[in-house]
Formats: sequence, C-alpha cells, structure tokens
Amino acid sequence: MREELNVLRGEALRDIASATDSPALDRVRVAYVGRAGRLTNAGEQMRHLAKEERPEIGKLLHEVRQAVSAALEERTAALQSAAEEAELAGVDPTLPGVARAVGSMHPLQVLQRRAVEIFRRMGFALAEGPDIETEWHCFDALNTPEDHPARNEQDTFYLPDGRLLRTHTSSVQIRTMEGQAPPVRIISPGAAYRRDEVDATHLAQFTQMEGLYVDEGVTLGDLKGTLEFFFRELFGPDTSVRFRPHFFPFTEPSYELDVRAAALGGGTRWLELAGCGMVDPAVFEQINARRGDRAFDPDKVTGFAFGFGLERLAMILYGVPDIRMFVENDQRFLSQFAP
Amino acid sequence: MKISLEWLADYVALPGTADALADALTAGGTEVVGRMTRGDVPDKVVVAQILSSEQHPNADRLSVCQVDDGSGQPRQIVCGAKNYRVGDKVPLALPGAVLGPDFKIKSGKLRGVASEGMMCSAKELALADDAEGLMILPADSTVGRPVRELFPPNTLLELEVTPNRPDMLGYLGVARELSALTGAALTGNAASSPPLPPVATAEPGRINIEDAGCAFYSARIIRGVKIGPSPAWLADRLAAVGLRPINNVVDVTNYVLMETGQPLHAFDLAKLSGGIVVRAARDGETLHGLDGITRQLRPHDLVIADQSGAVALAGVMGGAETGVEPSTVDLLLESAWFEPSRVRRTSRELGCTTDSSYRFERRVNPEGVLAASARATGLILETAGGTPEAGVFVAGELPREEREIALDYGHCRDLLGLEIGDEEIDAILVRLGLERKDRGTWRIPAFRPDLTRAVDLIEEVIRVAGIERVPSRLRGFPAAASLADLRHDRAEVLRSRLRAQGFSEARTSHFVSAEALAEAGVPAAGAVAIRNPLGADQAFLRPVLRAGLLGAMAHNFRHGARSVRLFELGQVFSTEGREECTALGLIASGEARAASWKEAGTPADFHDLKGVLECVLGPLAFDASDGGGLAMRVSGESGVQGTIQRLPKTLAQDHEARSPVYYAELIVGPWLELVSGDVRVRNLPKFPAVERDLSIVLPRGVPYADIEAALRRVRVPHLETFALKDVFTDAFGEALPADRRALTVALTFRDASRTLTSDEIDRAVETLRDHAKAELGADFRA
Repeated sequence: MREELNVLRGEALRDIASATDSPALDRVRVAYVGRAGRLTNAGEQMRHLAKEERPEIGKLLHEVRQAVSAALEERTAALQSAAEEAELAGVDPTLPGVARAVGSMHPLQVLQRRAVEIFRRMGFALAEGPDIETEWHCFDALNTPEDHPARNEQDTFYLPDGRLLRTHTSSVQIRTMEGQAPPVRIISPGAAYRRDEVDATHLAQFTQMEGLYVDEGVTLGDLKGTLEFFFRELFGPDTSVRFRPHFFPFTEPSYELDVRAAALGGGTRWLELAGCGMVDPAVFEQINARRGDRAFDPDKVTGFAFGFGLERLAMILYGVPDIRMFVENDQRFLSQFAP
Repeated sequence: MKISLEWLADYVALPGTADALADALTAGGTEVVGRMTRGDVPDKVVVAQILSSEQHPNADRLSVCQVDDGSGQPRQIVCGAKNYRVGDKVPLALPGAVLGPDFKIKSGKLRGVASEGMMCSAKELALADDAEGLMILPADSTVGRPVRELFPPNTLLELEVTPNRPDMLGYLGVARELSALTGAALTGNAASSPPLPPVATAEPGRINIEDAGCAFYSARIIRGVKIGPSPAWLADRLAAVGLRPINNVVDVTNYVLMETGQPLHAFDLAKLSGGIVVRAARDGETLHGLDGITRQLRPHDLVIADQSGAVALAGVMGGAETGVEPSTVDLLLESAWFEPSRVRRTSRELGCTTDSSYRFERRVNPEGVLAASARATGLILETAGGTPEAGVFVAGELPREEREIALDYGHCRDLLGLEIGDEEIDAILVRLGLERKDRGTWRIPAFRPDLTRAVDLIEEVIRVAGIERVPSRLRGFPAAASLADLRHDRAEVLRSRLRAQGFSEARTSHFVSAEALAEAGVPAAGAVAIRNPLGADQAFLRPVLRAGLLGAMAHNFRHGARSVRLFELGQVFSTEGREECTALGLIASGEARAASWKEAGTPADFHDLKGVLECVLGPLAFDASDGGGLAMRVSGESGVQGTIQRLPKTLAQDHEARSPVYYAELIVGPWLELVSGDVRVRNLPKFPAVERDLSIVLPRGVPYADIEAALRRVRVPHLETFALKDVFTDAFGEALPADRRALTVALTFRDASRTLTSDEIDRAVETLRDHAKAELGADFRA
C-alpha cells in the first residue's frame, strides 16, 4: 500500500504538471480526486488494511492528498494567469486614449473669470448695466462736460433716439449708486464701444472691467492696496505696480496704472493697464440729485473707481498678436484655451 | 507737445539728466511719451572749406570738389549738390564716419572719379527734418573742427499734456511745473516777465466786438518792419520742435506761442481796410486760409473781419489775403481771448486743428494775453526792426480768474490715507504758485483754471508728494451676492456644461451689417440701428447671435476645419420688447464626435443638438414650428425660449459648410436668474425595479411625441421610467412592412415597499398595450 501511494503521488504530480489548459487540468482533477478518482479509491481501501498499519498509511495518505491538492491549486492559478496573459497580449497599451473632445473657453472669458475670482475674494460683488445708455449715465453723471471730445459723434456711437452705446463700463458705477446706498463695493465686466477704426490693436467693441468702492473712510491707500493685490494675484508676487498721475473727469486725484511683471513680456518695461482714482465729489452730487437724498454726501463718504480693458490685458498675458483674433473665433486659437 | 531741452533751459535750471527730467514730469502726471536726440552729429564729421568745384567728366549731375579739411592736404570729394559756392564752409564726413545704421562713409570712386568722403546736408546729420543741398556753415567756423562741437546734441521730449492742464502747453508752464516738482529754480522770463505797455481803450470803430465768443481783443501796431528770414537761433528753435520757419514776424508769433501758450496773429496792416470787427460769420461767407484752403463758414463760426469781410477764423487760422509777406511794412499784432467752446466747435467741425486752436480750446491764461503781446513786440523789434505805437488798443474784458479755495487739511489726510503735515502741504501749494491768504484759504493763480475745488488741491498735494508715500491698505467687508453674481455663476455653469458637450465658446461682434443679417436669413426689422456707424459693418446692434456664429463657422471652414461646434452666450438687442437680452446660440456642423482608431465618428445632427440643449438647460418642450423645414420651437419652464433647426442648404453653402448645419438660439436670461432651491435627497429604493420592453409598431408618419403622449396619459401603477430604446424600420419589408416603424420603449416598474410580482407587471404592460392599440391602432412585436 505504501508503495502504491508513493507511485500514485508521483503520477498525480506528473499529470498535473503536464496539463496545459484548464480542461486538461479538470480531467486530471477528476481522475485523481473525483468521486471515482484514484486517490479517492485509495482512501476507500484503508478499510481493508490491518489495524496496526492504519495510522501510518493514513498519515501517508493525508500527505499525498495535501500534496496533490496543493499542486492542483498551484497549477490552476498558473494556467489562469497564463490565459490572462494570452488575452492581454492582443492589447496594445501604447495605442492613444479615446475620449470625447471637450470644448474650450474663450480667452477673454478665462481672464474675466480669473479677475472676478480675485475681486470676489476681496469682497466685491458683481454689478451690471445696459450697453445702450443715456448720455446722462455715460457722461453727465460722470462729470464729463457737454463739449468734451469723447461725447462727439466721431468717437461715440449714437442711436437715432439720442441714446448711445456706452464708451466705458463706468456707467455701471452710476447705475449701481442710483439703486444702492453706501457701502458699495462692485465690479462689472462688460462690453464698451468706441468709434475706432478696427486694426490690430483696436476694436469698435471691446471688453472692460469696472470697479467701485464707496464707503465712509475709503482712502487712496485702499485704492493702492486693492489694485496692487489684484495685479499681484493675476501676474504673480514679483509684480510691480506704478501709479502715474493722470486726468479723468470722474476721479480726483486720477491715476494711470502701469504694471511690470515677468508674466508680461519678461518684465522689462512698464505696461499701462488701467485707469483709476478717487471718485470726484461732483459725481456723488450728480447721484444725490438723481436719488433725491444725501446718501452719497461727499463730506461723509469717499470712494475709489478703476477700469481696465480685458483685450489688452489678454493680449499681453497670452501673447495674442492681433486683437481681431478675439472676434474671429478660430477653433485652432480657441482650443489653446481648453480648461 | 514736443519740447526742446535746449530751449527749456532758458526758463528753468534743468534738474539733472534728461532721464531725471522725463521721470519727474511723468511722475507729476505729464507723461513723457517720446524722446529723441537731435544734432547728435557723429564723429569724423568736420568743418571743411570748398576750394574748387569742377564738372564731373562722366556725370552731368555731379561735380568734383577740392576741399580743405584742416589737414593741410586738399581732399577730393564728388558731390551732387548745387547750392554751394566755392569758399563756403560745409560739414564733411571723413572715411570711417558712421551716419546711420548701414551708412558708413568709405573712400571710393564715383563714376570713375575718386571721392574721399561726403559733404553733408543738415538732414543727413539729423540736424533738420528735411533739408535740400549741402548745409552751409557760418563763415567763421574753424576748418577741421568737429561739427558736433558746433551743434551740441539737443534732447526733445514728447509730452502728453492732459486736457486739464492748458498751462503745460507753453515752455513757461512746463518750467513752472518742473520747478514745483523738483525745486529747480526758475530763470529768465519765467522768473520775471517783461513790463506791459500802456493800454489804450480802442476808439469806437477801431475794434468792435460784436459776439460774446470773444471776451477780449488787443491790437498792437508796429510800423516800418523789414520782413526777412529769422536769425539762426530763432529758426533753429522752431525747427527743432517741428515748426517750419517762415519769416521773422511769423516766426516770432510762433515762438511766443510756444513760450507762453498764448496764440498770436500778425496782420499786414496795409491789407486791412477799416477797423477790426470780431463777429459771427455771415451766411455764405468764406475764408481763404493761410493753409491755402477756402472754407465755407457757418453763423456759429467766429471771425475777425475788416470792412471787406472775414480776415481770420478767430483763434484757429489767419486768412491768406491779410497775412505777412516779404513786402509787409506795417503790422497789426493780435492777442486775444476767445471762448474755448466756440473755438473747439469751429476747429472740430471744419476739421482744422492748429497750434492756436488747440490752446484756445483748452483755455488760455487771461493774465498772459497782454504779456505775450509785449513779448512778441520786443522780439519783432529785435529781429525785424520797426517802431511800435505807444499803447495797445484793447476791447472787451479779460475773464477774471480770481479764485480762493478753502482746504480742510484733515480731510486731505483722510482722503489720501497719508499722514502729511500742514507745513508740507503749505510748502507744496506755495511751490505750485498758490498764495496762502489765511490758514487753509488759498488764492489760485490765473494759469491754473483746473483748480476750482478743495479736492483739486488735494490732488496737487499728492501729485507733488508722490503716491508712493501712501501706505497700501487692504480691508474688506463681506458683500452680499447680487443678481449679477447669480447670473455670472449660472452663466459659468452653462458654459462648463456646453464645453463638456464639445462646444467651444465664441465671442462675436455686437455689431452687424444689413448684409450679414440678410445672408443669415434674419430680418433687419426690429434691429437697433446706429445713427453714426463707422462703416456698414456697424449699421445695427445684433438682434440675434446667428449672423455672428455663421460668420465664425464660415471662418473656420475656410481655414480647413473639419467640423465646427461653437456656442456664444451674449447680449442681443431689439427695438421691440426687452431692449437687451442674454441669448445662447449653438452651431454644429460636421462631426459631433470625431472618428478615432477605435470607433467611427458620428455626424452632428438634429437630435445631437436637441440632446445638448436638454442636457445643459434641463427639461425643455419642443413644439412644431410653422416655418417649414426641420425646425422646432423650444421652451422651458424657466422661461427660456427659442428655436432649433437645420439651416437651409443654401444658407449652409453660403457659409462654407459642406455638411448640414444645425443651429439653436434661445433667450436664456430667465434661466440665468433661476434660483434653484437646495436639493432634497430622495431615499434610495429598497426593492428592485423590474424592466420590460414594449415594441410598438405604427405607420412611419406617426410622430414619436404622439405615441409618448398617448402612453403617458394612461395611469399605470408602479411605472417608474419610460424611455425610448430603439427605432427600427426595414426598407425591404422583410422584418417589418416597409411603411411601418417599430419603436421599442424600455419600461421600469417599482414599488417602494415590496417586490412586484410578475403578474402585476404583466397586467400593467397589458394596460399600456390595450391603450396604444385603442388610441393609436398600434401593433406589437415580440
């Protein structure tokens, strides 16, 4: 019996090893450990053994069973993994990925969204106003005299009824203050229109971002801090900001703002990017007269305002050579601004 | 305005380098936008005397000169100029001199004759903007001396003077500004002005002001002048700032204009008949100007006239007939004060902006009117001789600019956010020429009409003190979200959903031409017209996005795009209903999904676009449109409404598309303002759903919408979802008659509290079948 079991073990292990696929291995499994398998039969024959032989042969039988089932398990795993390997051999993982193409943002939208995010972090809310404006909102309320050059038919688009297309988003300052008492802290991105010949740096319709902060105790220092923070957030911490005195009818003092930053053409020169200043008391008085109250009493509240053109900023920031590319909507251009 | 530092140095001790000066002006609010150096004569250009000149043997236009360059050896130069005489001294560029980036002088042969250098014109040495012929140097110039020693370099600055600073339109004003900004000392005429002559009120008839557009007119008579070229210093200074020298008298008036900012005009007294009248132009009156152009005048134009008619356009330009000529002997020198708005209107409407009108429009200093006249008289005597009559004839009154402004020093510090002491504020205002009356009250000089309120003084304080000193401050308070915030955020959601559907964002012009509207099949009625468009492209504000998006599509196809998938979210304008609305336009043509190595591409089609709309805007209703073609009206509960359609083939072809073009446009303003309440979570189902398919066979012409509507009208217990799963037709009539269509709907049933039995579901499906059969006459497939 001992001899038989040893032979059985040798043959079983050899048959297991030589099974080359799962069906063959299944046949081997049935032949040895199936209901009528050889190893099963060997167990049956234990009954016929002498009592004193039983412990020893029983032990051997157990060992053989263990060895065979371990070999079967191992072979099963080996064959499964070989089959998976074979299946995967047909897959070329270096073929390119396949996905549905997503659309792109418009570069002006990319910039506008970034700008809005930064100002919102500082506590500015958004405001809106119409593109078709009255002369009062666009000029008179902004302290622009009747015969100011900007009001002329050469520079401003008019409608037959005497209204106009706003020449700057500053009209939203007026719209906002008409409807809201201080504190007022808003930004307003939107379209503006000027009667310019369209060329590589001019569009007759362009995009501006306006800002206004009116409250008790707003100072020139607040204007500086706000715009310095904004441009450093936008262009990086190495950004320098310079305020150059200028003249606008609706602010006093007024400044043009120059920025120098590595992100802007290497940071070698100052680029004029924005106009700003402290809201002129005459603007507040126009608003008070319109509102019929003293909510914007220049002895009590002060404020600052600023504005900048998004196209110019985007051209410098993204290296866009011609402003007309923003309205051409060439998909090869737009796709470079995929989110 | 262009200024020459050589000239400016007459009025102020120039502080430091040209760079420092430019920086100081820029920091003070007058931006230096350009800089150039004139008379930077290169090395190896020397004074040479022409010893002889002979005809070139091989070239009619050239001559061969022997010149003395101071070396002791005559030098042979071939020359093309004709304006010299033997014995003249001229600039000579020796071999090795570099006159320009690619212009180095070499010895060589010209038409076979050796030439050892080049004799130069003033232009070639950048000493004049244009000059013909050789530059003839003064006879006393030393031969061999470098020419650069004769003409020291002069720096010119281009200033951008803001409209509130008319005082900066003359050297005296620039000098005062520099002195205030840097502390530099004023010199010459800036430090003390020449004495004013006695004033004689003009007798009636001599000067009549008949129009309020002229507040004050003065005339000085100077007799016996000799008209001729200006002395070199005068001509050079004018030429340096781009003014062409004309004759000594005209040049003096221009010189004084540049110096003081007060425009002057000299008439030939002999050509004036009778007294001066300042009046409105008469109907049909014309003026032949000094520029040679005859202008038709209108009654709002202000003119200077004599008995015969208009002789000058007041403050803008003199007339040719009464101008100073070589034959002129007696002069009438005008210095006046005209109403800025009148001069502005005339110069603008006649398209005639002159140095004179530019200054009158910005308001000249009333206190400088007679001073300029006196200054010009002095210079005319100096350069043209003559004798002035003792007094100046005047008419009218100079506007009084006397003003006092009270400044609250505390408010100044508060507005600036800068701790600046009273003494420093006082010192700054004094430097700017203001006079302190008593504590906090300041008298404003006449040359600063822009200073009218306390805030204007605060601006002056910080302009001189410098904003760099103001500490930056950042403080915030929370801002409540506005409706505009909501619209912005919703618009961003819409944009990101559209991008996820493969649409890129376009931004097209808000302007549209009548032609583009017609080409896009959009009626122009109801479009907002522009009264003064710059071109036909700007005739209207767009009533819809369609024309712009079609243009963008055409651009892309023209540049080789295989497909176009664009959206625009922007304003549209209408004369009817709401004037400005936010619209969403989508255009798709070509592939909706590009082919890859793995799958074939899918073309854009009506249902692709329809699906995108529902995906980005939520549930929408699509109704038949009455327009014909493949088109539907779209509306949503939020209030969005618009259309979706396949554009007519001709329209597609006109816009370069080779595949069908699908287009949708909706007014989405209401959607952007929709406040969606917070999500309330539904409990997840505890019991499984049971799925069944129902295949309904109907004639092809029955729209799916009718079938769905009919089935949805049936009350079926436990029906959870209902979705079209398959559409089947068989053109050969084998699996299905050719005129029929099989629509398979996937149904799911569920009960929240138990597992449904198969019987219940069979009954439910049966109900649906019976109903479809009864109402639609439907058959069913297994």
